[in-house]
Amino acid sequence: MTSTRSLSRRSVLAGAGAAVAAPSIWTSAQAQAGNTIKIGMPLALTGPLGSVGQQQKRGAEFHTKWINDRGGILGRKVELLIEDTVGNPATCVRKAQEMVERHDVRLFTGITLSSEALAIVPKLNEWNSIFISSDNGDGRLTAASLVPNFFRANTSGPMGTRAVSLYLRETTHKKFFALGLDYAWGHNSVQVFEEEIKRMGREFVGKVFAPTGTKDYSTYITRLRQSGADAVYLVLAGDDNNAFIAQAAQYQLASRMALLAEQLELSTMRAVGDACLGMIVSARYAFTIDNPKNKEFVELWKKEYDGLVPDQFEGEQWQCQQVFVAGITKAGSIEADKLRPALEDLTIDDIKGKVHMRKCDHQGVQQGFVVKASKREGFSHPVPEVIATLAADRVTPPCNKMTYDD
Amino acid sequence: MRVTSLLGPLALALLLAAPFGLPIFAMTLLTELVILGLFAMSLDLMVGYTRLVSFGHAAAYGLGAYASGYILLNSALPLPFAVLAAAILTGMIAIGVGWVCTLATGVSFSMLTLAFAQLLYAVSFKWTSVTGGSDGLAGIPRNPGPLGLEVLSTKNGFYYFALACLVGSFFLCRALVRSPFGAVLRGIRENEAKTLALGYNTRLYKITVVAIAYALGGLAGALYSPFAGFANTELLFWLVSGQVLIMVIVGGSGTLIGPILGATFFLTLEHQLSSYTEAWALFFGLTFIAFVLFAPEGIWGLAKRYLGQRAPEETEQAPAAITKAEAKPHG
Amino acid sequence: MSTLAFLLNQSVNALSQAALLFFLGVGLTLIFGIMRIVNFAHGTLYMLGAFVGYSAVRITGSYWGALVAAPLVVGLLGTAFEFGILRRLYRRDAHAFLMVTFGLALVTGEAVRLIWGSEALQVPAPALLSGVVFLLDEPFPVYRLFLAAAGAVMAFAIWQLLERTRLGLLIRATSQNAEMVHALGTDVNMIRSAVFGIGCGLAALGGVLAAPLVTASHGMAASAVIDAFVIVIIGGMGSFLGSLIGALLVAFVQVFGNYYYPDFALAFMYLLMLLVLVVRPGGLLGKEA
Repeated sequence: MTSTRSLSRRSVLAGAGAAVAAPSIWTSAQAQAGNTIKIGMPLALTGPLGSVGQQQKRGAEFHTKWINDRGGILGRKVELLIEDTVGNPATCVRKAQEMVERHDVRLFTGITLSSEALAIVPKLNEWNSIFISSDNGDGRLTAASLVPNFFRANTSGPMGTRAVSLYLRETTHKKFFALGLDYAWGHNSVQVFEEEIKRMGREFVGKVFAPTGTKDYSTYITRLRQSGADAVYLVLAGDDNNAFIAQAAQYQLASRMALLAEQLELSTMRAVGDACLGMIVSARYAFTIDNPKNKEFVELWKKEYDGLVPDQFEGEQWQCQQVFVAGITKAGSIEADKLRPALEDLTIDDIKGKVHMRKCDHQGVQQGFVVKASKREGFSHPVPEVIATLAADRVTPPCNKMTYDD
Repeated sequence: MRVTSLLGPLALALLLAAPFGLPIFAMTLLTELVILGLFAMSLDLMVGYTRLVSFGHAAAYGLGAYASGYILLNSALPLPFAVLAAAILTGMIAIGVGWVCTLATGVSFSMLTLAFAQLLYAVSFKWTSVTGGSDGLAGIPRNPGPLGLEVLSTKNGFYYFALACLVGSFFLCRALVRSPFGAVLRGIRENEAKTLALGYNTRLYKITVVAIAYALGGLAGALYSPFAGFANTELLFWLVSGQVLIMVIVGGSGTLIGPILGATFFLTLEHQLSSYTEAWALFFGLTFIAFVLFAPEGIWGLAKRYLGQRAPEETEQAPAAITKAEAKPHG
Repeated sequence: MSTLAFLLNQSVNALSQAALLFFLGVGLTLIFGIMRIVNFAHGTLYMLGAFVGYSAVRITGSYWGALVAAPLVVGLLGTAFEFGILRRLYRRDAHAFLMVTFGLALVTGEAVRLIWGSEALQVPAPALLSGVVFLLDEPFPVYRLFLAAAGAVMAFAIWQLLERTRLGLLIRATSQNAEMVHALGTDVNMIRSAVFGIGCGLAALGGVLAAPLVTASHGMAASAVIDAFVIVIIGGMGSFLGSLIGALLVAFVQVFGNYYYPDFALAFMYLLMLLVLVVRPGGLLGKEA
C-alpha cells in the first residue's frame, strides 16, 4: 500500500464519515431562527418526476421572493424548507418528519406524488400541521382519504376530466376510447370520463390501462385504431405522455381520431414538439389564461426567468402559496387549529380567477380550462391556447365525491 | 480481540440509552436505521454466508410490510403478534420461492429472486382489495392490545421493540452461522459440489437459509409499515433490492454486524447529502466507488483494521478459491 | 384491420422493439462473457446515449451524426472507466463490481441531470424516416422499420466481428480462457477495455435510437437495466446468439401479451424468464448457470 493510497483512503473515509456523523441530526434542533413562517416542501426534485418537483420549487421560490419583498405575511418573512424525496414515499415521510421534529414546521405544500401525499396525510393530525396540496390529482384525497388538516388548492384529476367532458358536449365526436395509466389516478379519471360520455348519450367503445414507465405504446395504438373511435382520451403523465404522443404522431394517429388528454404540460410540449399540435387538453393552469392578474404574474415571471413563461405546476404552486397567504392573514396565525377554520370557506381571486376552499371536503372550487396545443409567434414549440373556460361549480365534484351526478 | 469484545456491550448500552440523550428526530432516524439494519443483516445470511446473491430481497421487505399493515388495519391483533405473524408468513412463502430459485445457481439464481420480487410488485398493483393498489395501505396503526403492550406503540417504546427484534435476530443469526448448520452453509459458499459429495443435501440447506433470511427480512418490513404508517408498492421495487445488497457489501458481507453498519452508513449518508445539495447522488455514487477502491473489506473490516485486530473466523472475506471459481471460464 | 394486417403490424413492431432490446442486451452479454461482471450502470449508459444524441443533433444538425457520436462518446467514457477503475478490481470478487457499477450509475445519472436538466428533451427522427408506409393498407411508421433493419444489420455486423476478425477471435478466446490468451502473449487488458467500451457504445446506440420514440428522459435508465439483465439471462450469460434470441422473445411476448392481456403487462417479462430458467437454469444457450 503506497502512502498516496492510504492518504486517499483516509480523506475519502473522513469525508463520508463526517457526512454520516455530521452533528446536525444527532443533536437538538437548531435555535428557532427568528420569527419566520416556515413552509416545508418535500419534493421529487430528481428521478423520473424531477421536472414536476422542479416546477413546484420554482413556483414556490418565486412567490416567496415576491411576498417577502412585500414584507411577508403578518409581518413575518416566509422561509421555504425544500428537500428531495426522489418521489419515494419512504423518503418523503422521513423528510417531512424531520421538518416537523427538527425545524418545527407546521405548514406543508408541494408533495409531488399522490402516493407520497397518501402516506403523509394520516400523520398531519399528530404533527399538528396543515398541508395544502398544489398538484396532487388523486380524487381520493378529498374523498375517502380526507383528513381535517388537508386542503387542495389545485385542480384534481377528476376536475380536469370533467372540464374536457363539458367541452365535448359542444362537439360532434361520437365514439370515444380511453387510455390511462394503470394506477389510482388513471382509473379514477377514466371512470369519470366513461360516465360523462355515457351520460351525454355518446358511445364509449373501450378503455385500456398501461403501466407507468411503458416505453412502447405501439400495442395500445393498434388497439385505438381497431376501436373505431373518433376521439381518444388520454390520462397519462410525464415520460408516458411524452412516449405516447411521440409514437402516436409517427403512426399519424391524429388523422384518424382527435387526441384529448387530461395533462399536457409545457415541458411535454417542448419534449414532443409539433407531435402534440391540435391536442385538446384540460389545463390546471396555462400562462395564456386571460385575466389581468395572470397577465401581471406572467410578466413578473418572464422578468425573473429570462423570458420563459410559467408552466402548469408553477402557476398552480403560485396559486397555492396565495391560498396560504390569505389563510394565514385571515387566521392571524399558523397554528393548525386557527388556520384550518380560516381556510375553510376562504375565497381568493388570483391568476386562475376565483378559488373557494369549500368547507365540506377542503377542495378548492375553481374554474376549469380547456386548451388546444397551438403554434404561437415567439415560441419554437406548441403552447396551450385557452379554447374554453368552464364554471367552477360545474367542474368541481359534489362534496367528498370523485365522480359526478349530472 | 480484547477491544472488540467490549465493543458489542458498549454499542448495546449506547443504543439502550439513546432515547434518554438523543433529540426526537434522531430517534426517528435511529428507529429506521435499526429496521434497515435488520433488513440488511437478513440478506447477509444468503449473500455473505452461502453466496446466494439475491437481487430480490425487496420481496421479503415488502411482503412483511404489507402483511403486518394488513393485519394491523383489519384486526385488533396487538403490534408484536402482527409483526411476528407477518415475519412467519414471509418465511413460509419464501420456502416456495427458495424451492424454485435454488433450481439455478449463480447469476441465474439472482435473476430468479428478482423475477419473484418483480412479480410481487406487479401483484401489489393489482390486488387492490388487500394491498390498496397504487395507493398502498396508509394510516397503519400500532395496535396496543390488551396485554399491557401499549408502551410499544409510543415512539420510544416502538424503538425498543425494533431494537429487541434486531438484537434477538442478531444472536439468532450468530448462533446459526456458528452451528454445524452454518458450517454447511460455508461449505456451500466455498465449494458446493464438494459439500454435496460429502453427503449434504445442499439444496435443502439453501432453501432453509432462504426461508430464514426472508423471514427476518419480512420481520424488518413488518416493523417498517407500523413505523412509517404506510406500505406501498415502492417497498417491493427492485431498487430496494439493489440498495440493500449495496448496504451488505459496503458494510462487509459475511460478518452480520457489517451489513447493519452498512445500512446505517447508506441511509444516513443519503439523508444528509440530500439535505446539503440537490446533486447528492453524484457524491453518493462517488463514495461507493471510493469504497470499492480504498476499503475493499467494507466498513466493518476497516473498523477492525483501525482497531488493530484480525478478523475472527466467521468474518472472513470470500476466500480466493471462490474468486477463482467465479472466474472459471464457461459459456 | 384484417387479421393478417394486424399480425404483420404487431410483428414488425415487435421486431423494432427487439432491435432496441438487442442493443442493450448484447453489450451486457459481451461484457459479461469477457469480464464476468454484472454492469449495473448499463441502463444509465443507455440513457446517456440518448442525451448525448440530443446534443449531437443540436451541434451537427443531423440525426445521423448523433448515431455516430453517441456510441463513440459513451464507448470512450466506458473505456476510460474500465481503464481507470475496473482494471484494478479483476482480482476481486463479484461484489466489488456490483458496488462500483452501482456508484457509476448514480454518478452518471446525476451528471446527466446537471448537464441536461430535469426535463425530457426532443430528439426527432430525421425527415427521411418520419413518414409512414402502408403494410396491407395499415399505416406503419418508417422509423420503426428502420429500427428493425438497424437491429438486423448490427446483429449481422457484430456476428461477423466475432467470427471473422482478429479482435473477434481474441474476444471469443478470452471468454473461453483468459489465462491461455494471456499466456499466448496477448494483452488481455486491452481486450477487456475494448469490449467494455464496445458494450457501453452499443447501449448508447440503443439509447439514441430509442430517443425519437420516448424522447431523451431520465426514466429511460431504470427499466433499461432490468430489461437488459432479463434478456441476457434468458439467452444465457455471455452468449451473443442468446442475447439476440432473448431480445426477440421478450419483444414478441410483450407486444402480443400487452395486446391480449394488458392487465399483466408488468409481469410478462418475468414470467418468461421464470419459465426459461426453471427449464434451463443457465438460460437458453448458456452452458451452466
